[in-house]
Amino acid sequence: MVLAALAAGYLLWGKRDVTSARIRESGVWRVGMDPSFPPFESIDPATGRPVGLDVDLVNAIAARWGVRAEIVGVGFDELVDAVAARRVDSAVSALPVFDWRTQEVGFSAPYIEAGIVLAVPRGSSIRSPDDLTGRRVAAEWGSEGDAQVRELQRRLDGNLELVLRESPDAAMGAIARGEADAVVTDAVSLALFNKNGGDLGAAGAPLRSDPYVVVVPAGSPLLLAELNRALEALEVDGTMAALRERWLGPGAGGTGQ
Amino acid sequence: MGKLRASIPAVLALLAALLLLGRGQRPWVEFGPQQHVETVNPKLAVHTRLTDEVEPWKVQRTFEMVREMGASWVVEYFLWAAHEPARAVYDWSHADLVVDHARNQGLTVIARLGYVPEWARPPKTSPLYLDKTGYDAYARFVGAFVRHFKGRVKHIVIWNEPNLSQEWGYRPVDPAGYAELLRRAYLAAKEADPDVVVLGGALAPTLAPPGGEWAMNDLDYLQAMYDAGAGPYFDGLAVHSYGWTFDPEQPPSPDAVNFRRVELMRDVMIRNGDADKPVYITEAGWNDHPRWTKAVRPAQRAAYTVQAYAKALRDWPWVKMIATWAFRYPRPAGTYQDYYTFVDGSFRPKPIYLAVQEYAHGKGVQVPGSVATP
Repeated sequence: MVLAALAAGYLLWGKRDVTSARIRESGVWRVGMDPSFPPFESIDPATGRPVGLDVDLVNAIAARWGVRAEIVGVGFDELVDAVAARRVDSAVSALPVFDWRTQEVGFSAPYIEAGIVLAVPRGSSIRSPDDLTGRRVAAEWGSEGDAQVRELQRRLDGNLELVLRESPDAAMGAIARGEADAVVTDAVSLALFNKNGGDLGAAGAPLRSDPYVVVVPAGSPLLLAELNRALEALEVDGTMAALRERWLGPGAGGTGQ
Repeated sequence: MGKLRASIPAVLALLAALLLLGRGQRPWVEFGPQQHVETVNPKLAVHTRLTDEVEPWKVQRTFEMVREMGASWVVEYFLWAAHEPARAVYDWSHADLVVDHARNQGLTVIARLGYVPEWARPPKTSPLYLDKTGYDAYARFVGAFVRHFKGRVKHIVIWNEPNLSQEWGYRPVDPAGYAELLRRAYLAAKEADPDVVVLGGALAPTLAPPGGEWAMNDLDYLQAMYDAGAGPYFDGLAVHSYGWTFDPEQPPSPDAVNFRRVELMRDVMIRNGDADKPVYITEAGWNDHPRWTKAVRPAQRAAYTVQAYAKALRDWPWVKMIATWAFRYPRPAGTYQDYYTFVDGSFRPKPIYLAVQEYAHGKGVQVPGSVATP
């Protein structure tokens, strides 16, 4: 049915979406991916094949479209260029929005929110950054979380104690060790920390949003529309939630859409 | 009186026009008093990235922050294509802006010269493509640059990473060809200013196998340069010395790319009778991209960077300066390159900037989870 929609769209849009037409005609969706970022994409040492949340997502979308997904290994730094040059039809590789590339590529609706969050232990009275006055807040030294905490510290006239650690896990672990009251880190590190036995929850909205999206060539309105419809359908039928739970742990990574 | 009143709008219009004309011809920021760098490490340097930074205040702010960090030197790229847009037609406006602001902040500029204009290469070739028919044109540009900046720029780097096919115009690398390019550029530079310091090499550290399509091992390439007679035609060797995932004390080895590989380059120089020639590390550093396999964590990057600066000062008397790549990009690259920088596009300092600044001003550096820093 989706293939039929693609075909109908092709008739409507004509040659204005050559990528969509190519997928329809070949029955193959070529997806660029750099399999070096677990749990989104990595190579399974047992099979030598890519595995991860993005791999499952690509296969779920391809199944809805009735096409075969062909994953093409592309280095992270070349992924957007590869899409812009149409060496692949799309890139799905935990990619953020590169808003200065919109003349060359387009971006789908987000499927993961990986931004910077304030996280606290269950039962904490801290519900937002407004509650951090006089508190000890941990972050990984030099990370975006560190920058956000320093900004919060300035806003609170210095009335916030920075607790800087060498890694995201060490920063989150500072709460369990009684060295910090809250932590500022990225949502993916938080999810994986909880998946491995941690018990921290995000307090309030992300301090800085960083959604992961699918990248398509510029001038692909039909492909983009079909992608967004597929992502929405996967969200509605619970597939996305299941993928997030499998790879990131319960309740993690939602886009809030 | 009436005649005078009638002429007032015309005079104002003329003044406005003159003002606008002036804006186009010179930087619209005040240089201010001459500044001086305060640092405990006179070898501390950073590679700036101002080739496409068009706003004068941002050029000035860049060098202010470099000075405030405690660096005395900057390496900057000057594009032949931009400064000689047509044969023998020179436009030094942007280069003047960059050099004069750097000097105003008390910084010593090392000028890297490359990027071939279309008129000097065959159609549809890379801006890094220069065959032998263009060597004299490049040498003339080098001479013109040195002449124009005599007294302001004393160090120049001839080409960049010629041991990579990409940097050699996607052709097979050619040490003898580079040696000839270096010879002609050297002679032109010395004719323009006998005191200019010409740096050769600037090779990319790589373990490319012999006969590889994309690159030549930097140690082999340097030896091949000497074999081709390059020795007399550089006053110092420019070296790139990246640490990848290794700390700066990892021992050098021909089969490893790490920070101390520069010692192996120095060994090649000694074997070829160049023990007295200095080394200029014009690119170095670590990257802290969260998902790049050659990157380290931000805290490691800061600690390693400070240790590297300290090591160059303490252990390597033959190293004149060490520049880390790269201070700031005018706009995000959207790649791992963004994670080499010290400040973001809006000049917000990253913690590594503050760590280097503390070190350069003689304070203890607090970087958690890392080995003690000087």
